[in-house]
Amino acid sequence: MKRLAVLIVLIGLATAAAATFGSAAPSGKAGAEALPPKPKLPALPAAVKSRGKWQIGVKCDTPPFGYQDTSGRNRGYDVEIARQFAQWAFGSRSKVELTCVTTTSRIGTLTSGRVDMIIATLTWTAGREQQIDFSLPYYGAVGRLLVKNSVTAGRLSDWMRGKKIVSTGSSIYQLWTQNCFKETTFQVVTSPSAGVLAVKNGQADALMYDDAFLVGVAANDRDLKMTTHRFLNVPWGIGIRKGEADMKRWVDAAIRGMRARDMFWKILRNTIPRRFWSTFKGNAPSRKIKPLYPRGNPPENNCPT
Amino acid sequence: MRILAAYDWTFIWDYRHEFWDGFKHTMKAGLLGIVLAYVIGLVLGAVRAYRIPLLSQLAAVYVELIRNTPILVQIFFLYYATPELGIHLEPFTVAWLSITIWGGAFMTENFRAGFEAVPARLREAGFALGFGPLKNFLNVTLPIGGRIALPSTINTAISVLKNTSLLLIIGYPELTYVANNIQALTFLVFEAFTVLAVYYLAIVWALSALIRFLERRLALPEAL
Amino acid sequence: MPELPDWFRPVAEYMLREGLPETIRLSVIAVTASLVVGILFGTLITIRFRPLQWLIRFYIELWRGLPILVTVLFIYWLPPYDVGPYHIQLNAYMSAAVALSLWGSAQVAEATRGAVQSITKEQHEAASALGFSWIGRHRFVILPQALRRLLPPMVGLLVNIIQNTTIAFVIGVNEFLQAGNRQFENLTTQTGDGHPISIFGFVMLVFFVICFPLTRLAAYLEKRLV
Repeated sequence: MKRLAVLIVLIGLATAAAATFGSAAPSGKAGAEALPPKPKLPALPAAVKSRGKWQIGVKCDTPPFGYQDTSGRNRGYDVEIARQFAQWAFGSRSKVELTCVTTTSRIGTLTSGRVDMIIATLTWTAGREQQIDFSLPYYGAVGRLLVKNSVTAGRLSDWMRGKKIVSTGSSIYQLWTQNCFKETTFQVVTSPSAGVLAVKNGQADALMYDDAFLVGVAANDRDLKMTTHRFLNVPWGIGIRKGEADMKRWVDAAIRGMRARDMFWKILRNTIPRRFWSTFKGNAPSRKIKPLYPRGNPPENNCPT
Repeated sequence: MRILAAYDWTFIWDYRHEFWDGFKHTMKAGLLGIVLAYVIGLVLGAVRAYRIPLLSQLAAVYVELIRNTPILVQIFFLYYATPELGIHLEPFTVAWLSITIWGGAFMTENFRAGFEAVPARLREAGFALGFGPLKNFLNVTLPIGGRIALPSTINTAISVLKNTSLLLIIGYPELTYVANNIQALTFLVFEAFTVLAVYYLAIVWALSALIRFLERRLALPEAL
Repeated sequence: MPELPDWFRPVAEYMLREGLPETIRLSVIAVTASLVVGILFGTLITIRFRPLQWLIRFYIELWRGLPILVTVLFIYWLPPYDVGPYHIQLNAYMSAAVALSLWGSAQVAEATRGAVQSITKEQHEAASALGFSWIGRHRFVILPQALRRLLPPMVGLLVNIIQNTTIAFVIGVNEFLQAGNRQFENLTTQTGDGHPISIFGFVMLVFFVICFPLTRLAAYLEKRLV
């Protein structure tokens, strides 16, 4: 009788042990099991840890990535990522101080130490990589042109000749246009919506900007549309100061964690209208979609023939 | 002192073309604005001083509106409101027009005060000599009142030039726009802004010296 | 009362709730600092000590001569520096406050100098004859009269500073104009019609409502006190 009891206890213990240790063993079938809600993340940089919150630079003038609603709240794809970082680092989505940056001021705001990182629609370029570090890509962007409905455009390099293009200052669009289209006039506008107005009022032929922003504008404005041209398919990264290896490690681990849990696609679904989901599904990193920076092929030099 | 040791002196030479272009744009809009503001100020100042019915009230509304609202908002309004009304203006036009409208309001007050300060007996002397109202204005009130108003109008002119710096928000490539762009690219903040400061201070101090010179040369005799 | 369109209320409420208090706070800080520093400098410059006079004169000419925007940008973009254990870097709001205060204090100093120097020598001599020291003389006789003469231009300065807080817009401070601009941009991209005339007209209206009475007050004080 005693030996039976011992046997039952031993089997029970073995089962419990198998249950505990067995499921922790790495499984060959990714996606077949549920991941814990929070990934294992390296230690936070000391300065951030002692501060108890993040300081992150985001756009405030570029829906659906970074903008402010009428209650004054920051919203958007980039802002959601910042809040997720706060959740994972400090346990609360509110433990982040968001600073508004513009295309022109974002790198300066980062390098001057005002923020820990910038999640601000920052396209990777070889030139920028000399000034700052990029995290793993967090969004796959595509450039488009916004024009008046009456415009018909053929080949990009033919149509661009003699036209006036606007976009924000220090953007990849400015670099690319001034590099590749010598017969095109480029004018800087202070914000993307100023560019929209310039096209509407006939002061410019086209606004060159990211597809997710323009698709919203074109959908809401009956006088404007996008041309079919797609260019500068270069991912965005989070900007980090050079030499901050611990910051980069944490951010990259967080991005990997979000990617594995399909969080980017979830955030994108919450920030763009349903009818555009199919168009943009490919832009959000996930377990299957892993955007890469075109190292060795600087996008600003990639001129169409 | 560490800052002085680290100053990049080659910066001044490397970017001289950009700054000079910015300077030219500043002066183009600035000088045009000053001249037109003087014209507006002279005409409306006289209208106000002589209390010409209806026009005087309209001028008063214009002056009070411009003086009690920030110039930055006026620039925004002009830039974004005009396309709504179907008027398409180039950035350069918005640039000089906005500072002209602003400067004109202040010049109007300057000239009005100057004209009203002309002693009554001098104007009466003019009438006694057989001048009609217009001739009286041109030969008596304007020369004397204009000289009385000189210091305040030149101060307004200096303010108009300083306000050209605000035009960077509409993308007009004047001095401050240039300096801010260079600073964003090179991170040489100290260098960019000291060069910018030297340009502005040179302009402002030159114009201030001009006031002092003109005040002495055109000084009205004490007996007035 | 005309029917206000749907979009107007949330926009106006946002602007008045988020932007206007920032503008007022910034103005109060700048005016206070300007008065404290400016009156001090303006009195000190009347002392017949050349180096001090030159130093204060340089301060006044520098901050009055530069456009305020240039001062704001310079202070904001300066790299941070370490003073002992402290890491100094001004955020946008503080940069704007400091820049406005530098300009305002230069204006006040110049006006104070003029007011103090307009007090005739007889007053100084009478006070000395009564046994007042330099400090006592200034504290009980000169400054009270000078400050009375300063009141109209100081109200004018308040109006100027309130209007100049809009310059903080350029470095991203969420003051009243910036609040309006944000909503204008949102409306433009999300509905195609940003209503600039209404929004920026509203900004002008609010500033006018604040500044016009103050300007009238300055004119009234000018007549009554001087």
